[in-house]
Amino acid sequence: MTTFVTGRDLGLRVCTHCRATVRAIRPAPARCPRCGASIHERKPHSIATTAALIASAALLYVPANLVPVMRMHTFFGEEDDTIMSGVLSLIQQGSWPLALLVFVASIVVPLLKLIVMTWLLLSVVRKSRGSALQRSKLFRLVEFIGRWSMLDVYAISLIVALVQIRSLATIRVGLGALAFGSVVVLTMLAAQSFDERLLWDAKAND
Amino acid sequence: MSSVIVCPACDLVHRRDAIMAKARVLCVRCRAELYRTNSASIDTALALAATAAVLLLLSNAYPLVALEVNGSFRATTLLGAALGLYAQGYLPIAALVLVTTVLIPTFQIGALFYVLLPLRRRGRARGQNQVFRALTRLRPWAMSEVFMLGALVALVKLSAMAQVIPGIALFSYGALMLTLSALTSITPTEQFWQWVEGSPA
Repeated sequence: MTTFVTGRDLGLRVCTHCRATVRAIRPAPARCPRCGASIHERKPHSIATTAALIASAALLYVPANLVPVMRMHTFFGEEDDTIMSGVLSLIQQGSWPLALLVFVASIVVPLLKLIVMTWLLLSVVRKSRGSALQRSKLFRLVEFIGRWSMLDVYAISLIVALVQIRSLATIRVGLGALAFGSVVVLTMLAAQSFDERLLWDAKAND
Repeated sequence: MSSVIVCPACDLVHRRDAIMAKARVLCVRCRAELYRTNSASIDTALALAATAAVLLLLSNAYPLVALEVNGSFRATTLLGAALGLYAQGYLPIAALVLVTTVLIPTFQIGALFYVLLPLRRRGRARGQNQVFRALTRLRPWAMSEVFMLGALVALVKLSAMAQVIPGIALFSYGALMLTLSALTSITPTEQFWQWVEGSPA
């Protein structure tokens, strides 16, 4: 079997910003000699920070989906729109590919991020040695798709800016949009604060 | 230059001499990208940044979309979308939209000019490393392609209630999205440091 040698074994650190290799002599340099970014063996407090961000995002996920993101005022009264009712109205319009896109980006992706990140955190805390490659790939997937959830925030911002025709209809933003935007930002920050190397550390200690 | 590369995703050590130049190199264990370089020159990057600057200007000067209902006409610009949210008391979302669609692309373009113009003449911009670090850090928050898709969703939803007229800015922003992604792909971090090390001050 191939033996893998890690930076930690050799006392080498990598600058996560410019990828320069830095020798961790004592005292280990705090800054990268090439680009000046701060250097850590692992991102400091990665597990606690990521867990806190994921927990906050999970809490906000509920109002993000239940509280209206928009409220339309017309002659005939008021009509509330949640993320899900927005998906349904796209289906009614017959544009089911877009409905599917919004459903995946706004409802599935944030939920998937919450579940996957929680699972990854648990696997790190339990020092799981099971397929680090699969877990790493899963992490990169949620890290990559996370930003696409912003799609609905942009759609809402344009609709609200345009539908301000006093004689016919006006649309106001709802608190749900604030909760939804927070979920997207918090899960993105959670992915950024998570140190992928933690997934591999248990393996290296064999 | 150090003789080894440490994988930033799994901490595995690789010998540099086992890696060819001018390539995209993946970690043998976790498949993360170790580095990626290409033969792009500083001038190519500057040309793309200039293109992006013009497109960004157009995108902010012209309306993005207009809506027509029974003779009533309403248009919005890129800034208008963020200002509308602000006017309704949602400063955090307004700021999020403004930062991700206008401010970060503006910073990306400005920062490249600021760093690359002096570098071209073997000079160093003041605070070059800080500017470039900020550029890399902000990259995940530049969302022009997500905005374009969001705009498409908004247009389809609105077309059910009114006539929707796409504006000049919608097309220029689409072009900006493509230009910025080209710019991002030819300026990976490793490439920037090759430019720095290849033009000693």
